[in-house]
Amino acid sequence: MTSLLTVSNLVKKFGGLTATNDVSFTVEKGDSLALIGPNGAGKTTIFSQIMGEVRQTSGTIHLAGRDIGGMSTAARIRHGISRTYQVPRPFSDMTVLENIRVGLMPDNLTQMVFGRVDHDREEALALSVGLAPQDLHRSPSELSMGDLRKLEMARTMATNPNVMLLDEVFAGLTVGEIAQISELIQSMRREGMTFLIVSHDLKALEPLVDRAIAINQGQKIAEGSFSEVMDNEAVVASYLGG
Amino acid sequence: MLQIIIQGLLLSGLYALIAVGFTLIFSIGRVLNLAYGAYLMIGGYSYFYFSQILGLPKIAGVVIAALIGVVTGLLIYRLVVKTLKGDSVAIEIATLILAVVLQAGVVLLFGDASKILLPIIPGVVRVEGAAVTYNVLVATVASWVILISLYLFVRRTHMGRAMQAVSMDVKGAAISGIDPDRVNMVTWGISGALGAIAGVFFASYTQLYPGMWVSPLIIAVAVVIVGGIGSIIGTLIVAHVIGYMEVIVTSAIAPELRGVVTMLLIIGVLVLRPKGLFGREEL
Amino acid sequence: MNIRWYHLALWTAFIVGMFFLPQLVSKGTLRTIIFANYLAIFAISWDVLSGRTGYVSFGHPFLIGLGAYTTAILTKRFDVPVEISIPAAVLVTMVGGSLLFLPALRVRGSYFALVTLAFMELMYQLVQVIRPDLTGGTRGMSGIQTLTRGAVNGYYLSFGLIASLGFGMWLLMKTRLGTALSAIGMNEEAVRGSGLNTTKLKLAAFMLSAFVAGLGGAFYVHYLGSIAPRALFDINFVFTIIVAAILGGASTIIGPIFGAFFLTFLLEYLRPYLPGAERYFIYGGIALVLYMFEPKGLHHVLQMALSAIKGKSRS
Repeated sequence: MTSLLTVSNLVKKFGGLTATNDVSFTVEKGDSLALIGPNGAGKTTIFSQIMGEVRQTSGTIHLAGRDIGGMSTAARIRHGISRTYQVPRPFSDMTVLENIRVGLMPDNLTQMVFGRVDHDREEALALSVGLAPQDLHRSPSELSMGDLRKLEMARTMATNPNVMLLDEVFAGLTVGEIAQISELIQSMRREGMTFLIVSHDLKALEPLVDRAIAINQGQKIAEGSFSEVMDNEAVVASYLGG
Repeated sequence: MLQIIIQGLLLSGLYALIAVGFTLIFSIGRVLNLAYGAYLMIGGYSYFYFSQILGLPKIAGVVIAALIGVVTGLLIYRLVVKTLKGDSVAIEIATLILAVVLQAGVVLLFGDASKILLPIIPGVVRVEGAAVTYNVLVATVASWVILISLYLFVRRTHMGRAMQAVSMDVKGAAISGIDPDRVNMVTWGISGALGAIAGVFFASYTQLYPGMWVSPLIIAVAVVIVGGIGSIIGTLIVAHVIGYMEVIVTSAIAPELRGVVTMLLIIGVLVLRPKGLFGREEL
Repeated sequence: MNIRWYHLALWTAFIVGMFFLPQLVSKGTLRTIIFANYLAIFAISWDVLSGRTGYVSFGHPFLIGLGAYTTAILTKRFDVPVEISIPAAVLVTMVGGSLLFLPALRVRGSYFALVTLAFMELMYQLVQVIRPDLTGGTRGMSGIQTLTRGAVNGYYLSFGLIASLGFGMWLLMKTRLGTALSAIGMNEEAVRGSGLNTTKLKLAAFMLSAFVAGLGGAFYVHYLGSIAPRALFDINFVFTIIVAAILGGASTIIGPIFGAFFLTFLLEYLRPYLPGAERYFIYGGIALVLYMFEPKGLHHVLQMALSAIKGKSRS
């Protein structure tokens, strides 16, 4: 059986700098994998390559057995993979529901023009990530950081992914908001969603993942269960050494 | 042949002077100042007013024009750019509107008709059969002197280095104790002066009329696009590429086509090499 | 905003009013309105592209000129009937729109604005140099067939055009396509991150914009009966189009129409006091101040005022 997401021998060079150096890993369906490492280790660059926002120098990326390594970002998303960003990027002059509407849109001009807007689905998505009913017609500038992350989750889910990549989902959140987002991810896992998560908040990350891989200076330095990886000497050294 | 070399040298020197003030703003403030062409117009008309109507000495006319350019630059920075807080699209649109307003202002003061600027230094010198007016020669020499002093200013002085730092990384510069706002003020002032002086020469090269700001703006745009944002040396090189191309097209093909080639060059470079031929982003 | 019965009633009253307008106002005013109608078409065309997607075009006359020149040359030089020349003009303009689209694949922001300016200048110089026997060279062309005789018919034609184009675009922009185009203007990356092919969407915006510009340009030249390159490919014309769109309210349909009428009539009222180009000084100044302090335009100001009145009457 093929894995849902397989990254093989990924290499990315920016001029003389090797940002990703021969990284390989797999994520099985329903699995949740943490990607950890110190600042500047190259985690976000890996995300960007998986999503096609940055093209890899060499290596392959397969989603459910299909080679997506050469596709456009939009095509990858339609094949069932989606990501959130460290800094949420909502459409600032739209309401919460309209933001989600963009995520729900079919990539087809005719359907965009003639199809009906599914208001129920927009609302259901917004409520499912824990946005309050009175926030649905607000603009993103009126939302808290936690609610912006929820909105970003909702817009990402609207593209109907099989795998979600979450980049620093806990950054800038209060303790209460971390608990809410954590609860949301756990409930999505129970429903079978597959995750690849980057976070500096290792304590919040632990209950959300089955396995972890550690990256330092673009290279994979450890892989295994979350506690195994955290106890790995090289990993500890990489965090201490910066 | 020699005629082409000389003509190209003269035209390119003028183009470099026109473009450098525009590049300066683009590389340091990351802002496209579409009112830049209006500096040239203001410079040309100020010189006309002070030296030709009031009869002040010519050098005083140039200095006053430069000072008015500085004031205009600073006012635009304070009133428009700062107010719009770095929204680049809004700044472009606002400076375009401003340029049209300034043009209308010039019409109000001086009327619609075009004016002839008397040459700064009259006379003609013949070089191997090529007639070169002293006026154009002075313009070229002056523009080289100005460009070299600007280069030395940026490289050697404290303020110049601060400008380089801001052009590379605003936040980094701010952390190292440079006040980006002050650097911007100085840059906008210098740019205004450069534009106004270029305007005096440009107007004496062509003529003085209210719509005269458009074509130098397009030259400046061409240099910035073809060269990529940034370096003074790059500006100089590209100004010569464009200047020589126009001279060659004018004498070898047809004078009407000289602008066409420049436009095609802009479009071609932007489509094929969006970062410009040199692609640098620092000063 | 939901459509209520009074919206329909207001619009019906407006259209009936516009229908009887020629009986009420002078020929001169009618001519001003005709000009405002065409300006509104151009402003809508600009807005569909630049107001929504944020790809600011400083070279819109390039598109308008393509439409105008195509039909002018076809009818005057080749005796092609307007039934064929106008659709042909629209097609040519859309081809031109896809040329303009090429740089948008690679550059955005300031660079895109600059390249559109280069397109306009290129067009200006080309029409003077290449086949002046067809284009009329620097002096342009006159004696181009007109579609209507007199101000009244010209008014009905231009009003019919702006009404149908405006309504069509309004319908289209209310769909998810309009939302998606506006989303590109706010954050193109995030639109891509929503699984949408932004290249396709941008191409749609360019084609729509070119369609409207080509149609407007073609009918405009058949109204004027003449065409001159300096007046057309002029940065002041760019300025008028952009100011009409943003003054009225970018990213709406009624905004650019409103802006076009406001500008045209302001210009007319200033004419007795400031006969020359000085008028640009006044209305440029007004436009600049309004744009800097109320970037959403007059449309937004009116809406706020209306809701304030409504709020008061309710309480």
